[in-house]
Amino acid sequence: MDKIKVRQICFFLAALMPAAKMLVYPTTLVYRSKNDLLFSALINFALEGGIVALTMLLAKKTKMTFFELISNTFGNVTAKIVYALFALFFFGAALLPLMEQKNFVMQVMYENVPSIIAFAPFFFVCFFACVRGFKSIGRIADIALPLFILSFAVLMLLAVPHAELGALLPVRGVPLKEVLKGSLYSVNWYTDGALVFFFLGHFEYEDRAAVKVLSSYAAGCAAVLLFLALFYGVFADIAVRQQNAIAQMSKYTTSFTSLGRVDLFFIFMLALVMIFRLCIPVQVCVHCVCRSLGVKPLIPAAIVSAALFGLTLFLNYSFLELQTLFTQKLWFVFLIFAYLIPAAALLLKRGERRA
Amino acid sequence: MHKLWTRIFACAVGLLLLLFFSNDFGLIDIQETAIVVALGIDAAENGEGYDVTAQIAVPASTGSGSAGNVAVKNAKTVGEAITMLNHETGWYPTLVHCKLVLLGEKVTEKDVFETLDYFLRNDGVEDSCLVAVCEGTARQMFQAQSPVNDISASAITKVLSSEAQKSGIVAVNILKDFAKQYYSVSESGFLPYISVKSEADSQGGENAQPVFAGQNLCYRENAQPVFARQNLCRGENAQPVASEDLRRQKTSADSPFLKKNKRWRPKREPLPISAAATEGGAGGSGGQQKNGDGNADIFQADKTMLFYKGKRAALLDADETLAYNLADTDTGFAFGNVTMDEDGTPVTYTLKMKISKKKQKLFFENGMPVFTFDIRANARISDADKADSILGIAKTLLVDEKILHAAEEKFREELLSVFTRSAAAGCDVFALRQKLYRHHFGKYEKFKDTLLDSVQVRCRITFTSLK
Amino acid sequence: MSEKKQTCKDNIKKLKDILVAEDILVFSFETADGAACAAVYTDGMTDKALLGEQVARPLAAERAPENAKQAAKCLQVPECKEENDFTKMAEEVLAGNVALFIDGIGGALILGLKKISLRAIMEPPSSIAIKGPREGFIEDIKTNMSLLRNRLQTPKLRFYNLVAGKQSRTKIAVGYLDGIADEKTVQKIVKKIEEIDIDGIPDSSYVGKFLAERPQSLFKPTGTTEKPDVLAAKMLEGRVAILVDGSPIALTLPYLLTEDFQGAQDYFSSPYRASVSRFLRFFGVFLSVFLPAFYVSAQLFKLQLLPFSFLLTISGSIQGIPLSPGLELFFLLLVLEILIEASVRMPKYVALALSVIGALVLGDTAVKAGLVSSSAIIIMALSGIAAYTVPDLVGTVSVLRIAYVVVAGSIGTFGVLLLTALILYYLVTSDAYGSPMLAPFAPLIARDLKDTLYKASLFALDKRPKVFRGKNKTRLKRTGKKVENGQD
Repeated sequence: MDKIKVRQICFFLAALMPAAKMLVYPTTLVYRSKNDLLFSALINFALEGGIVALTMLLAKKTKMTFFELISNTFGNVTAKIVYALFALFFFGAALLPLMEQKNFVMQVMYENVPSIIAFAPFFFVCFFACVRGFKSIGRIADIALPLFILSFAVLMLLAVPHAELGALLPVRGVPLKEVLKGSLYSVNWYTDGALVFFFLGHFEYEDRAAVKVLSSYAAGCAAVLLFLALFYGVFADIAVRQQNAIAQMSKYTTSFTSLGRVDLFFIFMLALVMIFRLCIPVQVCVHCVCRSLGVKPLIPAAIVSAALFGLTLFLNYSFLELQTLFTQKLWFVFLIFAYLIPAAALLLKRGERRA
Repeated sequence: MHKLWTRIFACAVGLLLLLFFSNDFGLIDIQETAIVVALGIDAAENGEGYDVTAQIAVPASTGSGSAGNVAVKNAKTVGEAITMLNHETGWYPTLVHCKLVLLGEKVTEKDVFETLDYFLRNDGVEDSCLVAVCEGTARQMFQAQSPVNDISASAITKVLSSEAQKSGIVAVNILKDFAKQYYSVSESGFLPYISVKSEADSQGGENAQPVFAGQNLCYRENAQPVFARQNLCRGENAQPVASEDLRRQKTSADSPFLKKNKRWRPKREPLPISAAATEGGAGGSGGQQKNGDGNADIFQADKTMLFYKGKRAALLDADETLAYNLADTDTGFAFGNVTMDEDGTPVTYTLKMKISKKKQKLFFENGMPVFTFDIRANARISDADKADSILGIAKTLLVDEKILHAAEEKFREELLSVFTRSAAAGCDVFALRQKLYRHHFGKYEKFKDTLLDSVQVRCRITFTSLK
Repeated sequence: MSEKKQTCKDNIKKLKDILVAEDILVFSFETADGAACAAVYTDGMTDKALLGEQVARPLAAERAPENAKQAAKCLQVPECKEENDFTKMAEEVLAGNVALFIDGIGGALILGLKKISLRAIMEPPSSIAIKGPREGFIEDIKTNMSLLRNRLQTPKLRFYNLVAGKQSRTKIAVGYLDGIADEKTVQKIVKKIEEIDIDGIPDSSYVGKFLAERPQSLFKPTGTTEKPDVLAAKMLEGRVAILVDGSPIALTLPYLLTEDFQGAQDYFSSPYRASVSRFLRFFGVFLSVFLPAFYVSAQLFKLQLLPFSFLLTISGSIQGIPLSPGLELFFLLLVLEILIEASVRMPKYVALALSVIGALVLGDTAVKAGLVSSSAIIIMALSGIAAYTVPDLVGTVSVLRIAYVVVAGSIGTFGVLLLTALILYYLVTSDAYGSPMLAPFAPLIARDLKDTLYKASLFALDKRPKVFRGKNKTRLKRTGKKVENGQD
């Protein structure tokens, strides 16, 4: 039920990881880093890549899950507490992308503003996915990869004719402090390393697994960097206005063609990948709750999904406040949970390798 | 467990069916939607706010469509006007298929982004729409009639096609790019300038001369080669002959224009809106109706308006527009005439130039900024107004050096004129400040305010032909 | 067999106590020395001529045999066995065999003289082959087994013969290729069939429902085929076959969703042509499911999905239609389903008349009357036709497209995406008999894509599909090529 394959982790990093960074993230990055947005992104990727590498290192040395590692060192109760905290963390980490996705859906898929009812069924899908365990994450990653490659490639190709990469100049034109701030304030979009960390013990480390996973991560990073470069190339000084970036870049090529906005179909395809990506932190959250409380996923999945739905309703008109809170105030929480604690796991007692 | 899932499933299906059959939760379907194909924005007659004219495609029950203009007057903002459109028509206006925003001339006296602000804020409008300025008011422009039974928005969109841009006839701009130019460090941009001319007017008198034969030509008696695609006299009253081009293109299948300019074809199909006119709202007219004299109107967009900080800075004429296009936009080829004196007789050659290289560079020489244009093109004779020998026709790919030099000189003059006129108005139409910022960031602070005055402009225009 | 002298009359009485039905007949005769003999059989299911020729005549010419073995030698019937249990005798008689009693011999000889009317072996109407074998299964399990055996003449073709149905006592054969099919799968299937507790099994689909790991699923639980060549090919890939007496449709397990996209024709034509056909089938199903939904959601929620010229055409055609786009297409799809249901069942002589009514009244006239738009009819027709590119999935596709139209009409494009996500989550986690339903896409098995996403050449398909986990992995050896895991 909770097994995942190395190949599927690779696909997750190559396809699902970039999909989460194509809506509000570029705009937020541009706000601080302007044309130096690639440097900010690179800093984040380097840090997150470290966590992915660390996970693979641990996987090579032990077959234990994170829960078992903590339990082995500090006891079962501590492990349950840590998992409960991580459940809260992933719950929070899922919230902003959810709101992003909601706004994206409302803008791109509807012309007349509908009620929240249009987005509500997502939580049913999310609940269903949570019940299905890690196996569904892996297999969905198998499905997501070709969808992502096709849609991403088409959208980028459509954007290229309108992208002026000279807009990325001057290199280092933005003060380093602002670039670093750009990195720090976008750390909430870099929780994929933490997600991979929770796959620890759920996959069999195979020969050259670390190389495969890190190469896939590099491929995902390259996709994001390409996207960011083209995004800034297309919009330059008005990039900060372009929320839901991926939906904006390709229309200039298709608008005046007789077929119309064919790019929308590829945007929808990518939106499907985003739905899968959006479910993953919630699935990991439910996993943490289950391990923490020792229960089956059905009830936690229902409660977590319902709670997210309630919060989405409550925060329906507070996206900016939420974004400010997550990016500018709670960045340290993301640093602790997505980076420091996983890094500290290296110090935990690994004990004997399980057969 | 099975029972639980069955119940959940049944509830979900029940809810969906309820939504489906009630079909009433805020959606507005196609039957209640007015599809706005173009918006015209004029300064209000009383001086405050805007008069907004929407050209709306209203499909008829037969399947063919018609279009009507609906005008809203004295709206404080464009957004308010759009809302009022709903009241005027009873239909919900959708702007997702709005492909043209036409600004009345008066609007450009103020920062046009006060007007365009609505389009940048609103996700319901695509910023890929064309933006243009028109002579007079946009409302009048929408009431003009195309000779090929297009509605005016469709006809204007064709005039602003990317093919026209590629052949250098017009300098096309879309909202996104115009906004990029405005919000860049250069704060300068351009928009095509549309004017309309009655077909009857354009056919009468001297103006009915064939375009490329050079009517209104400032022809020099000393038979110096003159690049005379159109009139060289600048000024508001100059009648760019491109209008003639368009007229002939639309009215006569075997016109000289079509013969000479075969590559210039609107690629897109006409907007499938029937020309059947429907009076819509306050200012409605559209479709097939001819203008007051019963004649069709010709749209011409060969002039270009330059903007600085959102306000109009200068108006480029047709030659300057062509030169600007050759230097700065997507124009890939162009047609131009050169008149030479041959054995005492003026002979006009139509040259087809295929641009092989266009490059702009800002660099520093002795601490001072230098801006260079490097344009290279391959030219060939497309036509000549003389009966040439068969050997002469066989050598049509060979262009005499004198003709090439004349053409180069002409373009150089026009390009420098564009630069000088725009710089005089403060307009950085070649985005020098942006180049300075991107490529010479260290010198940006020092030169950003004085760049246009201190820069030395060099043009290197080279036309070649088969040898 | 008991050697205790028993009279024929006693045995007949005992058997008739069990078989009280009127069509159970007794044929009495005597041996040369006057010993009474009786054959009990079911009227209409036994070959009476053979009974007379090969049973009554030899016995009448001989002295009464002293035991069953002597009796069997005397008879000229190839299928002959002794039976002492009267309940089993009754079952044999009901199955069309003859129970022969002879004075002085306890128990009965069961003679395989079954003869029932069978239809001829012919091409199944649901899978017509343009090129390739045309024979199809019939309702008789033995004939079907023989057709299969004829195509797989190997001792590795094995059958588990089972019986299910308390009243029908239907014979079921679980066939597999030893070493090629996964043994665990075979055992699991046999166990599930043995556990079937139902009155009767009129068709193999009943067995399919018992074998389903998720009986409530919208998707088929098993693969089906009516053709011996297809069944043999599937078994050679590692699947297990289930033949049910009385049904011409054989079941195969494990079932993968992609196998319905593979046509028998693909293997007899060029790989390029087959790959194009595969693509068309995938596209056809995609179109059939999503086209009506996108048409509805585009009109209701996202006009930009429609090119401007098409938008005006649609907009013009729907003026005055009383139904919303969603309801319009929903009812049209219902009408399509009704037409299909009716056309399957209607007598042929009224079919033409009803076709005219369907085409003219429900199509043209409805458009002219302003009840529906012509564009909606085109969408409906296109969707309906496209579904038949994969006939085995028509049922599923029909339900899905109506579900999608309801979702599109209620929630719009995002609803369509969410339903797709939900279905994908369901499918990727649906494993049956150890094989994931969505394999080889999820989990990705690159090797198996060669015969799913596209059809590679015969020589490229040298390995059996990995997903079935059989021990014998190689199905094709090329001369001079070293084969990995080569097992025969």
